[in-house]
Amino acid sequence: MIDWYTANSVVIQATMTTLLLALSIQLPLRMGVFSFAGVGCFGIGGYTAAIAFTKFGMGTWTAVAFGTVLAGVLCYLLGLLVHKLTGLYLGMATIAFALIVSVVATNGGSLTGGASGLFGALGGITNLHVFLLLAVVIIGLAISEAGRFGRKIDTVREDPELAVALGINVTRYRKLTFLASGLIGGLAGAVTTLLRSTITPAEVNFHLVVVALTVIIIGGSSSWLGAFIGAVFITWLPTVLSFVAEWEPIIYGFVVALAAIFLPGGILGLVKDLRHRRGARRGSTPPPEEGAAAPPDDEPHAPEPSRTPVPSQGGAL
Amino acid sequence: MQELLNTLTLGSIYLLFALGMALAWSTIGILNFAHGAIFVFSAFSAHFISDFVPLSMPAIILISVLVGATLSALTQWLAFEPILKRSKNHRSAELRILIGGIGVAAIPIALVDWATASAPFGFANSSYSTQVYEIMGLRITNTSLIVIIAGVGIAVGLTLWLRRSRQGLGLRAIGVDSETASLMGVNRTVMAIGTMAIAGGLAGLAGALQVFQLQAMGVETGDQLLIKAFAMIVLGGLGSMAGVILGAFVLAGAESLIFAANMGTWVDAVSFGLIFLVLLVRPQGIFGRQEVRRT
Amino acid sequence: MSRPSHDAAEPQMIFEADDVAVHFGGVKAVDGLSFGLPEGKIVGILGPNGSGKSTLVGAITRHVPLTRGTLRFLGKDYGNDRAHLVPHRGIARTFQTVRLLEERTVLENVLLGTDSLSGGGRAERRLAHERAQVAMQRTGCEHLAKERPDELSYGNRRRVEIARAIAMEPKLLLVDEPTAGMGRAEKEEVSALMMSLRAEGLTQLIVEHDVQMMVDTCDILLAMNFGKLIVEGEPRDVVRNPAVQEAYLGKQAVNHA
Repeated sequence: MIDWYTANSVVIQATMTTLLLALSIQLPLRMGVFSFAGVGCFGIGGYTAAIAFTKFGMGTWTAVAFGTVLAGVLCYLLGLLVHKLTGLYLGMATIAFALIVSVVATNGGSLTGGASGLFGALGGITNLHVFLLLAVVIIGLAISEAGRFGRKIDTVREDPELAVALGINVTRYRKLTFLASGLIGGLAGAVTTLLRSTITPAEVNFHLVVVALTVIIIGGSSSWLGAFIGAVFITWLPTVLSFVAEWEPIIYGFVVALAAIFLPGGILGLVKDLRHRRGARRGSTPPPEEGAAAPPDDEPHAPEPSRTPVPSQGGAL
Repeated sequence: MQELLNTLTLGSIYLLFALGMALAWSTIGILNFAHGAIFVFSAFSAHFISDFVPLSMPAIILISVLVGATLSALTQWLAFEPILKRSKNHRSAELRILIGGIGVAAIPIALVDWATASAPFGFANSSYSTQVYEIMGLRITNTSLIVIIAGVGIAVGLTLWLRRSRQGLGLRAIGVDSETASLMGVNRTVMAIGTMAIAGGLAGLAGALQVFQLQAMGVETGDQLLIKAFAMIVLGGLGSMAGVILGAFVLAGAESLIFAANMGTWVDAVSFGLIFLVLLVRPQGIFGRQEVRRT
Repeated sequence: MSRPSHDAAEPQMIFEADDVAVHFGGVKAVDGLSFGLPEGKIVGILGPNGSGKSTLVGAITRHVPLTRGTLRFLGKDYGNDRAHLVPHRGIARTFQTVRLLEERTVLENVLLGTDSLSGGGRAERRLAHERAQVAMQRTGCEHLAKERPDELSYGNRRRVEIARAIAMEPKLLLVDEPTAGMGRAEKEEVSALMMSLRAEGLTQLIVEHDVQMMVDTCDILLAMNFGKLIVEGEPRDVVRNPAVQEAYLGKQAVNHA
């Protein structure tokens, strides 16, 4: 176990940082907000942390905190500007935002190191640290997926007009998702940069958007678990199958296109669907917990005798 | 004056690229994220073949156009049509088409990247040679002339075709209301694949001309151009071909100015900033009538 | 349109619209409507397609911005509210086409009605569950609690939507074409449900095409055309009114009368 960990600690690290980046894009998508601003925030967080660390001599965690918070604040302000845009327009505006970050970094002179970027920003971050940060983010996201919070977010995504009619402040949800996405993206950028010790403007490009999307699309966009599956998939597949490493971009291209066509819910969606279908089939011979709910498949609308004394058919309706 | 001429050449290539994208987006509602990859791959195919057989300029252009058209039509047929059939609403279709396009784009780009080892490629083996004319103190190459004539000519031709011809009318009908259009006997699927073929052909044309004009093309050119084209379309207003023409030349002009001011590293910020500015100040663009969907 | 003069003598008005207008550019979808909803009554709005009924529902829920006029609920002017605050005041609605979360169970869909209107404490959540259970019993869909909506018949989907609205425990329920696409038996069930809700004092506003159902269910009918109110009163009288017959009913009226 320990041998396995030491042998793979770099891949494990890459899995965790990729996952953080993907989560920063997944959260807005779950809210139906087509924002890729998380990628720009990755750049902001990374650069801010590297500058704070190398130019101002801040400690590792102060630098990370700076990067995270600045990215969150800027992303929130961006959200105030663009939250009324929808669909592709929002998507492109936020991609443009990410690329502007890259252009600004290129032109930042000695502060950002210009086109060659910043070096020597090796902070004291271990895999355990990244794991703990990731755990905090995932716990937060898991809360937002469970119970009434999860239902409300689903409604905001699936049907904003219905959400409003149910009393949900859709505008506030949309704006706050920019803040949360910026914080997660900034954290991902800051941690990744101080782990690798460098950041260059070329890293904050369209390709990073593609990586983040790939993770989410393969795994599934509805839950952090999907992003986790996706992150594991794309960081581990090349290590397991060596021919994948050579043809990596082509294989990912195919996988992403196929997932977009056939598996909009990703691997997670597929598993959930299969489980649901199996559950429904079992329903015809009443299982202990789900039984009372599922009428036989062949006559789904037959009036069921009510278990409660309230006359549900003749009386109320 | 010389700058103006250069702007005109640059703008014409932008225009050819953006026209195809705008055509597909404003009529059949497909914003093809593989458009940039098709642009690169078409030019690369011509380069690849011309390395074996010396080809004339028209032959190279023809190859590039055909490859572009085929690739684009295939993308529509194999990826976007199935997505449209399987999507429960417009919003999810939009997202899936964007992602599908990104996935499709990765494949030809990776092939080119692998084949060229990330080095820029050109048409070194072509029989075409650049000539420089001097007219009234202006230096103009034959390539620039061809680019400008093709760009402006095709843009005007396409605009008129959309306005006047029966097919153009049918296509615009799809853009307005696809259900009614299909009731009126417009075969949406065939139309869509045909439109995408035209769009891809234009990308192929733009790709070949760009290589002739600049002597070389890098693999990453496609993605940059994709975002620039979006800026042009949004600036002009979705649904207006005249808007695309204006957008292409405004962007080319602004970029030339930035270069003239010796701020070349900021040049990409122009298009990104433009996207922002237009979407925030006038989301329907300069000529756009169609309301941008807002909530 | 002048207000009915017997206003004061009638039961308390829970909702009042005064000179409400919604114009889209040059189109006057709703053009100066004034009416009240008496507490505990079912009021129906009748009108041909495009007469402005749905826009009116949108205006009442603040989805559609008012061009002019005031909206009053429980005596308070709420015409400046943002749309998501309206449900918090006690106004719930259903939609012309059933809108549910297809990937959530029926129970969760009904719980959605309570999610924004009650707190997240343990006791409150238990209460919300009870409310959802009661709402499902009332609409006869509690045996479907664990099903997913995409597996249900249209009638059952409509029940779930009404259950969700009831779970909001509204003081006013707006029902937009509740029986569209239903058979006669199902329509009668919906009608019976509305009347039983009325018996408990719930005020309802129904927009509907089915004249028979409207006459059977409503206490008061309002007939609209071209964004204006043409007749208001006792359902049978409204249906027989020549102006209404001309505007909306046409040949249909002859069959019904």
